[in-house]
Amino acid sequence: MFSISQDFAPPFKLISPFFILGSLFYLLASVYIFFFTSDNFFIQDTKVLAFVHLFLLGFVMMVIFGAMAQLVPVVLEVGHAAVELFYVIWPLLSIGTILMVVGFLASPSLLPYGGTVVLISMMIFVMEIFSTMRNVKKMNLVMNSVLISNTFLFFGVIVGLTMALGYAGIIEVDIMALLRSHVYLVIGGYIIITLMGLSVVLLPMFGLSHGFSMKPLTISITLMSISVVMVVISSFVEYLLIEYIAYSLAVLSLFLYFYLVYTIFKTRARKEIDIYAVSLMYAYISMLVALVFGVSYLISGFEPLIIASAWLMFFGFFGFAVTGHMYKIIPFLVWFERFSPLVGKEKVPMLADMLPKRSSQAQLVFCVAGVTVITFAILLQDDTLIKAGASFLVVGALALVRNVFYMINYK
Amino acid sequence: MMYSKEELFLAISTVIDPEVGFNLVEMGLIYDAECNDEGNAHVTMTLSTKACPMHQMIQQWVKESVEKMANINEVVVDVVWEPVWNITMADDNVKKALGGA
Repeated sequence: MFSISQDFAPPFKLISPFFILGSLFYLLASVYIFFFTSDNFFIQDTKVLAFVHLFLLGFVMMVIFGAMAQLVPVVLEVGHAAVELFYVIWPLLSIGTILMVVGFLASPSLLPYGGTVVLISMMIFVMEIFSTMRNVKKMNLVMNSVLISNTFLFFGVIVGLTMALGYAGIIEVDIMALLRSHVYLVIGGYIIITLMGLSVVLLPMFGLSHGFSMKPLTISITLMSISVVMVVISSFVEYLLIEYIAYSLAVLSLFLYFYLVYTIFKTRARKEIDIYAVSLMYAYISMLVALVFGVSYLISGFEPLIIASAWLMFFGFFGFAVTGHMYKIIPFLVWFERFSPLVGKEKVPMLADMLPKRSSQAQLVFCVAGVTVITFAILLQDDTLIKAGASFLVVGALALVRNVFYMINYK
Repeated sequence: MMYSKEELFLAISTVIDPEVGFNLVEMGLIYDAECNDEGNAHVTMTLSTKACPMHQMIQQWVKESVEKMANINEVVVDVVWEPVWNITMADDNVKKALGGA
């Protein structure tokens, strides 16, 4: 038996900047898409690299880090070792992200500085998590996923900084070889394994699911971990087979993970289709389509397929998985801080009352339209469709920023 | 017995889960409650998930809801994980509202 004491729950003022900044970076990333044309659609394009860092560091990682401040005690069943460190993580991550984006776009000499600042913020995060884990008495699958994902993040950031030094011309490295390791360590190793681990806690909690098997998760995390390690090895050993086996394992891992999510969805008692449920459905459908596109690319070699796959993985899967959870986590934290002391003394709102209904629906509809239109734009190499999709996304992103402020200021 | 199980359940039914909007008794989360002649009450309950971030808070609300009853001396609330809660333990109105009926 365990309990989450008041001491375990970090103060909201510590976590709220992560959500505010995350939503603002999401808006910036959406606006940024206007400056893309189909000529930019290859992985090493500096515009693409700037965009990926803006979105993944500024939005995805920022919100995940903020959410982890709240979720780590829930998942690890112990209090944070030094939760105050989160006060320095968001400023460093914001500054580092901006320096890296500007570095990629205009001034490569800024990249090592941006990379170092990001490295410091992530090392503080990783070390805080590792310190917290030292107090865990008995590890379970979800706790192991936190340990594995943060270990991959540790190495992924170091590889990233090495690349930044290479870009700036300070050291000589094979950037293409390191790029694969960096992408896989951070995206496959950290973001995806973190989402896998957290989703078996959060999806059943909000959907009241029971009786599903955890075995697919064990296999998914194992396969993804092996895949990440093999990709890293393939960066240094010229052997194509290792790389292809690694990709196959990653695809298999994600298909199994999708099956797990499906069983959680099927066994849920709470059938209500709210903004959270729809966001998550779109996220997982995006992931499935991204996988199909990825496999199709490996067979056909048609470059837009892999770009569309990455787009759907980032803005579709990560984007909606994160925004969907923001509609659960932010109201809870505000309620916990502002209304829980009033329980039994006066009427308090339900968590669902704290959501801006129409505005959250607008965010969902416009973002779904934006992501879908841009997927077609990438596949058809159509510049006009890119602008059309970006227009939808910007409106959706503005709604997201508005919703975050609405929930934070709910009284 | 100072209070019957039904009386104690009635007092605890004032505690609402803010996530789903139902009280803990109709959710089927309260397994047992008893109170002896000295006013010492004991409540056995569960939660819908071990990872519930409001665990301690809900436990405290249950304690306070019983303490409000007249002549109550001491309240002990135990959270247990066996049997594991599932939706079949909830009242019909909850199952219907959640869509699981």
